[in-house]
Amino acid sequence: MSKYFYDIWSSISSSMIGMGITLKHMFLIRKGNVTLQYPEEKWPRPDRNIGFEHEDYNVIRSRLHVDMDDCIGCLKCARACPVDCIKIDIIKVPKGSDIGTTSNDTKKRLLVPRFDIDMTECMYCNLCVYPCPEECIFMTGGPNSPKHPIDYEFSEYNREGLIYKFATVTEEEVQKYTEPELPEQPSEGESAD
Amino acid sequence: MVVDQLIEWLGSLLSWGPGSPLIFLTAVLIAGIPIFLLMAINALVSVYAELKISAFMQDRVGPMGQGPGLHAGKWGVLQTLADALKLLSKEDIIPEFADRKLFIIAPFVIFIAPFIALAALPFNQNLLISDLNIGVFYILAVGSIGVIGIILAGWSSNNKWSLFGAMRSAAQIVSYEIPVGLSIVSVIMLTGTLSMQGIISYQEGTILGILPNWIIFNNPFSFIAFFIFFISGVAEVNRTPFDIPEAESELVAGFHTEYSGMRWSFFFLSEYANMLIVSGVAAVGFLGGWHSPISGFLESPGWGLFWFFFKIGALIFVMMWFRWTFPRLRVDQLMNICWKVLIPIALLNIFGVGIWTLLKG
Repeated sequence: MSKYFYDIWSSISSSMIGMGITLKHMFLIRKGNVTLQYPEEKWPRPDRNIGFEHEDYNVIRSRLHVDMDDCIGCLKCARACPVDCIKIDIIKVPKGSDIGTTSNDTKKRLLVPRFDIDMTECMYCNLCVYPCPEECIFMTGGPNSPKHPIDYEFSEYNREGLIYKFATVTEEEVQKYTEPELPEQPSEGESAD
Repeated sequence: MVVDQLIEWLGSLLSWGPGSPLIFLTAVLIAGIPIFLLMAINALVSVYAELKISAFMQDRVGPMGQGPGLHAGKWGVLQTLADALKLLSKEDIIPEFADRKLFIIAPFVIFIAPFIALAALPFNQNLLISDLNIGVFYILAVGSIGVIGIILAGWSSNNKWSLFGAMRSAAQIVSYEIPVGLSIVSVIMLTGTLSMQGIISYQEGTILGILPNWIIFNNPFSFIAFFIFFISGVAEVNRTPFDIPEAESELVAGFHTEYSGMRWSFFFLSEYANMLIVSGVAAVGFLGGWHSPISGFLESPGWGLFWFFFKIGALIFVMMWFRWTFPRLRVDQLMNICWKVLIPIALLNIFGVGIWTLLKG
């Protein structure tokens, strides 16, 4: 008979201990939470010793980037791409209009209203980088590029987010250069981008 | 109360006077709509609470989102709404060798039990569908209809897991009705009435000026009776740790293995509505119903509604707390607890309450 009541008592008390533990976890969720809300939060990237100086190390092909200030719209990268993931539209500007120069002092002759790279198709072969005469398309993310932090996740909420649109030409500029009479009075302010 | 008033009001409004069956039908239908809404909203809120509480107890965060759209709202508040939409749009599958008629009827039979039981639950001083003079008895009796639906579902599915689940559920629910009834008997012995409002009005005032005069604090026996009632109530609504009818690690999903889409969601809806009813009866029978915890403080009908749902919410939280703390019981353990522990103690309780009332006068 005493065992009967002892069993009841021990089951009640051990249940209370278990319920106390779950309640404690519930109220200390801010401290004990193990879930990382991934696209919003990220684990810190570990510091690592890669065996040589960071300056010598620029072989990471993380993702393509285009400096549109330097692009002359020559389409060489689009032709070099084995999977045709680079899509470029160009507009020939009328003679005499100034749309700026590149950092190599090449005069720009073509307006580039569309420069899309579909990163879902890109296979990181780097073949588009070599033909570029202005060296404006390149892989970023290596430790040597301070402008572009390393990024290897490419996380997006929908597939359209992975089509990178680099073109900086505005709708007005396109209108201006497609209409023939307007480029008579170009000013410095509205040159390239 | 509501139905009576509706019948009177409709009778005065319409020319063919009270007593017409048409007016009775209209009044009952009008009263039924808020009950259905209550069940649906209860399921939406409780499921969200359950997702969050279970997550927090397991050191997770549960459904999360940054805003409407792809993310089910901030902190995932729209998660259950999205689930409901998903269930509505799912294919309704009926197995080829199932007993078609019974298979279709079963979810509705299960759904009807909590639906009609809610008619006798007093939400505040004035708001209840019908103040039956046998209210508690009615709820206990009607609540057992659900087991027929469970057996129908299990049998008609023509599936061994479903049948196992249904048989277990029959054994479990029939057994646990007894401690529920016996612990309610000790309440009825104190109050001397079966009417829900009568039981609540008995619990007015305070004990020794400190404690509210709730039946749980009335005497040591009724204190134990509350826990017997609540544990058996958890077992009656098939919640973990007493969920052997749908034990997912053994029986796939028990009696609703073969159900999908909207029919399955009826089982879900009625499970959460059953939780509401068990918590409601526990709140009425032991925790003072719509009475405020401090006597005379915030006792208006509006606050009565708040206190009643506050007590129900607290009890539902405890049920969820049970679920995410305890492992499932074995069948023999389940029967042991019922027949060897709860029923003898409940019988002793009745004896104790009898002596108590005799000595107190």
